[in-house]
Amino acid sequence: MRTIRNGLVLALGITMTALGATACGSGGDETPPAAGPNEHVDLTLATFTEFGYEALIPEYERLHPNIKITHRKTGQGGPYHEDLITKLAAGSGLADVTAVEEGHLSDVLDKGSKFNDLSKIGPADASPDRWLSWKYDAAKTKDGKVIGYGTDIGPLAMCYRKDMFKAAGLPDDPEAVKPLFATWDSYFAAGADFVKKSGGKAWFDSAAQNFNAMVNQLPEGYIGTDDKLAVESNQGIKDAWTKVTDAVAKGESAKLTAFSNEWNTGFKQGAFATKVCPAWMLGVIKEQAGPENAGKWAVTAAFPGGGGNWGGSYLTVPTQSKHPKEAAELAAWLTAPEQQIKAFQAKGTFPSQVKALTDPALLSKTDDYFGGTKVGELFAEQAKKVQKPQYKGPGDGQIQENASSPALQAVEQGKSAADGWNQMVEAAKKITR
Amino acid sequence: MTVLDKVAPEGSKAGERTSPRPTFRHRLSRWDVKVSPYLYIAPFFILFGIVGLFPLLYTAYVSLFKWEAGTDHPDFIGLDNFKELFADAQFWNALTNTISIFLLSSVPQIIIAVLLAALLGARLRGATGWRVGILLPYAASLVAIGIIFANLFGPKYGLINGVLQTIGLDPVDWQASRFGSHVAIAIMVNWRWTGYNALIVLAAMQAIPKELHEAALIDGAGTWRRFWNVTLPLLRPTLVFVTITSTIGGLQIFTEPKLFDAMPGSNNGGSTNQFQTVTLYLYQTAFQNADLGYASAIAWVLFVIIVLIALVNFFLTGRIARPQAVKTK
Amino acid sequence: MTTLQSDSRKTDLRRKVATLGKPRKATYVVLAIFVLGSLFPFYWSFLVASRDNGMLTERIPPFVPGGNFFANAARVFDTVPFWKALANSVIVSGTVTLTTVLFSSLAGFAFAKLRFRGRNKLFVFIVVTLAVPTQLGIIPLFIAMSELGWTGSLTAVIVPNLVTAFGVFWMRQYTVDALPYELIEAARVDGCSMIRIFWNVCLPAVRPAAAILAMFTFMMSWNDFLWPLVVLDAGNPTVQVALEKLQSGYYVDYSLVLAGTTLATIPILIVFVLLGRQIVAGIMQGAVKG
Repeated sequence: MRTIRNGLVLALGITMTALGATACGSGGDETPPAAGPNEHVDLTLATFTEFGYEALIPEYERLHPNIKITHRKTGQGGPYHEDLITKLAAGSGLADVTAVEEGHLSDVLDKGSKFNDLSKIGPADASPDRWLSWKYDAAKTKDGKVIGYGTDIGPLAMCYRKDMFKAAGLPDDPEAVKPLFATWDSYFAAGADFVKKSGGKAWFDSAAQNFNAMVNQLPEGYIGTDDKLAVESNQGIKDAWTKVTDAVAKGESAKLTAFSNEWNTGFKQGAFATKVCPAWMLGVIKEQAGPENAGKWAVTAAFPGGGGNWGGSYLTVPTQSKHPKEAAELAAWLTAPEQQIKAFQAKGTFPSQVKALTDPALLSKTDDYFGGTKVGELFAEQAKKVQKPQYKGPGDGQIQENASSPALQAVEQGKSAADGWNQMVEAAKKITR
Repeated sequence: MTVLDKVAPEGSKAGERTSPRPTFRHRLSRWDVKVSPYLYIAPFFILFGIVGLFPLLYTAYVSLFKWEAGTDHPDFIGLDNFKELFADAQFWNALTNTISIFLLSSVPQIIIAVLLAALLGARLRGATGWRVGILLPYAASLVAIGIIFANLFGPKYGLINGVLQTIGLDPVDWQASRFGSHVAIAIMVNWRWTGYNALIVLAAMQAIPKELHEAALIDGAGTWRRFWNVTLPLLRPTLVFVTITSTIGGLQIFTEPKLFDAMPGSNNGGSTNQFQTVTLYLYQTAFQNADLGYASAIAWVLFVIIVLIALVNFFLTGRIARPQAVKTK
Repeated sequence: MTTLQSDSRKTDLRRKVATLGKPRKATYVVLAIFVLGSLFPFYWSFLVASRDNGMLTERIPPFVPGGNFFANAARVFDTVPFWKALANSVIVSGTVTLTTVLFSSLAGFAFAKLRFRGRNKLFVFIVVTLAVPTQLGIIPLFIAMSELGWTGSLTAVIVPNLVTAFGVFWMRQYTVDALPYELIEAARVDGCSMIRIFWNVCLPAVRPAAAILAMFTFMMSWNDFLWPLVVLDAGNPTVQVALEKLQSGYYVDYSLVLAGTTLATIPILIVFVLLGRQIVAGIMQGAVKG
């Protein structure tokens, strides 16, 4: 019995210290002093999917012999960000340099006190003019802290099936199709036309894919700058909803949930004729549509309503880091134009740095699968069309993922547009309660 | 707790015999008898003290706060999280889904597992192969299972809908339909776990002395009667085990509905939460909404519900296989 | 009783007893259907691993393996530290399996056959802990592991799983009927200590249950993903954590992923076959018979 009691005492001891540690043990406010120039420093870097940093890390270690970097790489964004929340909640364990995906940025900005202000501790050369302004500004908290350096972006263009356009009697040349993709109205009108002429084939893959892009183009998003839910008061959101659900009612949607198994099959089956196309989507199309559809897909430098962005990440330095200064230096170096161009060459991550967007290595990049189009130049052009960043209030990313996308999926599965709207509003209220 | 009481009959205190003159050896032996049981169960409780108790207390503590992951100043709100939870339609929806999927899966699963175990208990050629064979689904990778079931139950290009249409039936939207999705998920659950339960039952069946079956046979009992009067009563402790663990596992069902969602990695359980289970809702609240206080409240309420349902099941199982039958010989 | 029966009835019965437990053809057919259903995902995974990603979007997939398996497997070895991860997983799952089986059998023996104060209450307590939802435990567990200074090491993955409530519950339920009191009594009379009774009498009697528990525990530990991902260091992964890295990028190369999964399944199959032989009625057919 004594062993049991000892065990319990031990457990209680741990319980108490740990509870104490989480309740009031944040203590990361004072920045530890920077290590001396030759002092050995161990840094950890956490990324997910492909950042293209594999070859850059040894290079940095060569330049800084006192620094040793451990790269913690996770495959998928899902478990990666769950791990991030766990360690944020536990108050320890986060990497010195921690990547955060754009869709999760709103959650992190909300906890700005847990991240270092890179405009204060970062090196001088990582100044705002290094990045496209919309990319840089998106990582600012309300009180002006910069918590992340931009890595890559996903500027939006339009991808479409030339052969299906042709068969339906639409223009199919990348220049000639641009008017169809001028505004969302022209896009959905062309879609209605296409559905009729093609005998009922779908125009786009899923309603949510268009809706997300439309909402992102608005001056304000789901959350207003006052941090209050604006889904009901923001007329732009309602208008976008009406346009998208009308298009669904006209048969324009293939009703395939993005990244689902059937969506993958849909590329090969030619289930839809157009696709909202961030730079990284080219690889997806190539892989899913397969070699037998080579040359059928094309990409054009146009996007309804101007420009847009989907995807891309930031490197942050959590206050948990014991070496924030060294970590910020590493993050700044990795996100410098020269390095991001190397990452682009390695893994195709599209750079967010102004200088990188004029780099010959980027501009000369072509893609044979899409008829030899100069895709580097095309997406660089699209990146410059993006307006100022929309303020992403707390919960914004979750509303897109867990309120609007499922509600639109429900509409595609047969729910009325009005009921779907109510479902979205209710879910959004719950997320921001 | 009848099943627990029948364990050690009176007077069978192992090894305790009176002796006129307690020798050192004897005293040692008595000490052995007294202390050993505690030593044997100690590892579990020590470990529980180190890694189990703290999470439990932590969750209880956090559930009394409005606590966002990474917050500096959680607000104490007493039982407000629980009050909100009881008025939360999404929670009741998730609970209904959980119980529906649980019933659709556990009931057929246990019945099939017992029958399967009876088949496996025969003197088969290559017995090991068959036994390992039925446990294989448990070892299959989740990635593979995810794609295979998506291919089977895809609303548009899925194999099952293809077959339904070929034989002139209407296709089912396995994702959108609430009942349809529950059936599909239950099939997935059963596919993964039936063999596992069959093996547990099989082990218990093998422990039944052959003499009992022979005696019953000589008394003229047929296959079915032997199964009902000899096998089933002797399986009682195992059936209690299988029922309780399936109840607990079934009410915590997480992996299958998560894999089934067409939106990869989603915790929504479908476009209108039509197959979101309580654990998925809990997970979403904690790891997507970062609302640890509310998630902790969900965890505690789920815990209490599971214990209650497990207790009910415990008494039901007790009735199905009555212990008295064991003594007839 | 026998004297009253005619000879023909006697032989009839003897024949019946002899056929007891002899399988019919139908038994094999039913079992074959189950096993084929169980094997399918493995064969399918191998199919994809031996071809390329395109197979997944074909409406009618091919049914013979292609020739790319070794190329895909080679890519797995190039992408992730497979051998290191495999060694880690063997250490973790092996240790966890051994300790779980040992501690669960010990506790199961105590709960099933020994008398001590608070036995029933403690046992009910163990069963109740099974009902604790585990999803949320990861955050406080991580806090506890940081406090203990175990994060990053395999200890943090091994220790929380040294013994499980599931294992204790199962071994207790099995021991209740599988181990007759007469055997314990006999051993006591021979002057055996409790631990010797456990080792020499109880353990052989519960061998089938222990083998099953070992299979389950090994599997569970081998496939555990989120906790090792959270708590282990980058250079020190288990197999599942390492394999997850194969799913990076905006589309998943399933021929690569499933080549990795197929490789990672081989150790499980070996363990299954080794332990599968143990699932026979241990002592019941030997010692107890008399």
